Amino acid sequence: MTTQTTPTTRAVVLPSGVVPAGTPERPRRQRGSRLLIWVFLAPTLIGLGLFSFVPIIGSFVLAFFRWDIISAPEFIGVGNFVDLAANPTVRVSFLNTIGFVVVAVTVQLAVALLLAILVQSRMPEWLRTFFRSALFFPLVLSAASVSLVMAYLFNQEFGLVNEFLGLFGVGNIGWLTTGFGAKVVVLLVYVWQNFGFTFLLFIGGLAAIPREVYEASSLDGAHGWSQFRNVTLPLVSPTMLVASVMAIISALQIFDQPYVLTRGGPGDETRTAVMVIYESAFQQLDFGLASAIGIVLTLLIMLVTAAQFQLSKRFVFYG
Amino acid sequence: MVELNRRATLALLGLGLAGTAVSWPRLSGGDIPGRNEDALTVALFGTAQDAAARQSLVDGFQKLHPDIPVRIIAVQGQDWSNFFAKILTMVAAGTPPDIVSVATEGTQLFAERLAQPIDEYVQRDAADLQEYFDDVNPSLIESFMYKGNLFQLPDNFNAANMYYNTSAFERAGLERPRDDWSVEDFFAVGRTMRDSATGSFLPYFWNNRLWGGVVPWLYVNDTSFLTEEKASGGDWLWSQFYPNEAPRGGGYLWQHADALNERTIESFEVLQQMVGEGIAANPAQGGGNELVSLFSRGSVGMTPAGGFWVQGLNDAGLGNDEYDVTYFPKMRGQRHQFGAGGYAMMQTSQRKDEAWEWMKYCISREGMSIAHQKPDSSLPRRSLNAELYGGDMGPKHWEVFYDTLDRFPTTGPMPAPPQQAAVESALIKNVVSTITSGPTGVRRGLETMQRDLELALKGR
Repeated sequence: MTTQTTPTTRAVVLPSGVVPAGTPERPRRQRGSRLLIWVFLAPTLIGLGLFSFVPIIGSFVLAFFRWDIISAPEFIGVGNFVDLAANPTVRVSFLNTIGFVVVAVTVQLAVALLLAILVQSRMPEWLRTFFRSALFFPLVLSAASVSLVMAYLFNQEFGLVNEFLGLFGVGNIGWLTTGFGAKVVVLLVYVWQNFGFTFLLFIGGLAAIPREVYEASSLDGAHGWSQFRNVTLPLVSPTMLVASVMAIISALQIFDQPYVLTRGGPGDETRTAVMVIYESAFQQLDFGLASAIGIVLTLLIMLVTAAQFQLSKRFVFYG
Repeated sequence: MVELNRRATLALLGLGLAGTAVSWPRLSGGDIPGRNEDALTVALFGTAQDAAARQSLVDGFQKLHPDIPVRIIAVQGQDWSNFFAKILTMVAAGTPPDIVSVATEGTQLFAERLAQPIDEYVQRDAADLQEYFDDVNPSLIESFMYKGNLFQLPDNFNAANMYYNTSAFERAGLERPRDDWSVEDFFAVGRTMRDSATGSFLPYFWNNRLWGGVVPWLYVNDTSFLTEEKASGGDWLWSQFYPNEAPRGGGYLWQHADALNERTIESFEVLQQMVGEGIAANPAQGGGNELVSLFSRGSVGMTPAGGFWVQGLNDAGLGNDEYDVTYFPKMRGQRHQFGAGGYAMMQTSQRKDEAWEWMKYCISREGMSIAHQKPDSSLPRRSLNAELYGGDMGPKHWEVFYDTLDRFPTTGPMPAPPQQAAVESALIKNVVSTITSGPTGVRRGLETMQRDLELALKGR
């Protein structure tokens, strides 16, 4: 945008929309521009207010009440928080979620980075384009549909996976009916479906590393693993921070895959925090407890994210 | 950048207001057909197609009651608890339906919180209703009583019977089991089928759920995972409509966890043995969508199902002679499990008299025949089942569906207290670990189940 300075021109507009000082019409135009800003912002602000801030505040308030939708809410102070601390299912679900986040995010970042490096290596452009699209594709699928198909594939008696393993003499594995098997399947399905976005982030991060850096490091004798450890990893670390923050927040909210694949079972082996929120609210009609669990989960997410940014000061290299 | 003067601002605001006014019916949902009309609102658990399929029922009703407009709302849900949550949301939003179709799973929840007892209406129209009760097994009526009051009249039911694939039986050289076959006979049949099969085959496939899961195996052993008592009251109904039977009381009460009684442990050990021997599937969770295809292509020998399955198997291309149905095998007894469905009148309804007329029509011979033109459930009216299953579609021994009630009078509904969702959740989540942890794992698993059931029943 250019700044018009001809005194005879009335529509003098600066990048900020402010008329230069000394112009008699400045206050009126300033008001008009500010109004315009608010008009454009209004839909987003109203939407955010109605559908994000109000529910967040409502959920926070509800956490101190007992409410089953049909009866009047009853104030019980911190009763819901006391109950959730004593509830073994809630405790197990949070431990499951934390364990899942640690493993899933590690695997997701490792797989995404490895594939991004492979795709960025020497290969025909059409093949690179193909891999980029193919590896991103699972992300656009519905998690529920994918999980439903996977449940069929991993069925113990009639699933294709056991059928295939049977060709090599492997007996029927209870993928979804044993604790370890169910956790592995949930992890596989989640990572397969979600690494695509992390992969794209790494593609961008790797593409931003100047080729000269690699050339210089090669001249200094760095190749292969040593080049990856001393050049690639430090330079891609800002991307790693963003990717890990997003991956952790997303993994902490895992719901679809375990809900469709195992309904949290066997026992509570794959029950996650968000599943317990859903079950408390919509199956047991205990909206107060569900809100309290939601608040604890939100605090956990905020805590982990803050810790990540704090740690990033030591581990992230901004060049 | 565009400048916004006062005139333009006013024009934009005017445009926004005009747009809002024009789209107000959509924004407020006022353009939804039937909304805000003075119609009797009936909520069904199902899809828009299910609602459309009820149009003939509405038409039949309106021939008798042209002054009562009816609006059918289909509420989709993954399971009954999901459906109830949506109905409760409608109540909370101030738009409750007048009548809701409620199955056994939700009868006591609705009775406790939302439904209107229909005792007065039934007594008022006793003369008209006598022929209905004469045609209906009292076990079905009893399942809709709660704490001495009647809340619903059954218009469909499904007892958990044993379906078997006749090809799998023939391949194994087996004949139809005796009606009073025992669990030992069941094991013998399962082992023979398992040993004669090639490829992927399971003698017995079952799903981990409240209906048709572990409960039939508990009931045939005269036990359950909850204590079962009867409420007092209800004498008016038994003496009026079933004078030749002993009064059954005022409905079932399931108030305490009972997963650790010796009979329950014994039933779980039987299931554990079935799974361990490869006779039964490791129980899958869910609605058993895959079961129809597995059964119809001969990969499954036996499975628990009710009359509702006849339509599903026919749709899957299975001929009437390719499968059959029998009773569950006997352990200490041969008590069966069933689930029933019917309409419940909402306490909040402003059209209770009209709602009662709808309920009466739906349990009339005409209404029930119109609502169930295909065998998608067994009918509480004994006399209508021959027409439903005895024609073009149905297994050879279709009489088993209703005879289950007549032959085993203690046959009862699945245990579904007002806390049904939490109870079902506690049951389902502990079944797999109880059965798959070896013989020593049964008691350990049931201890956890007992703890979870106590928590579920205690409420908060």
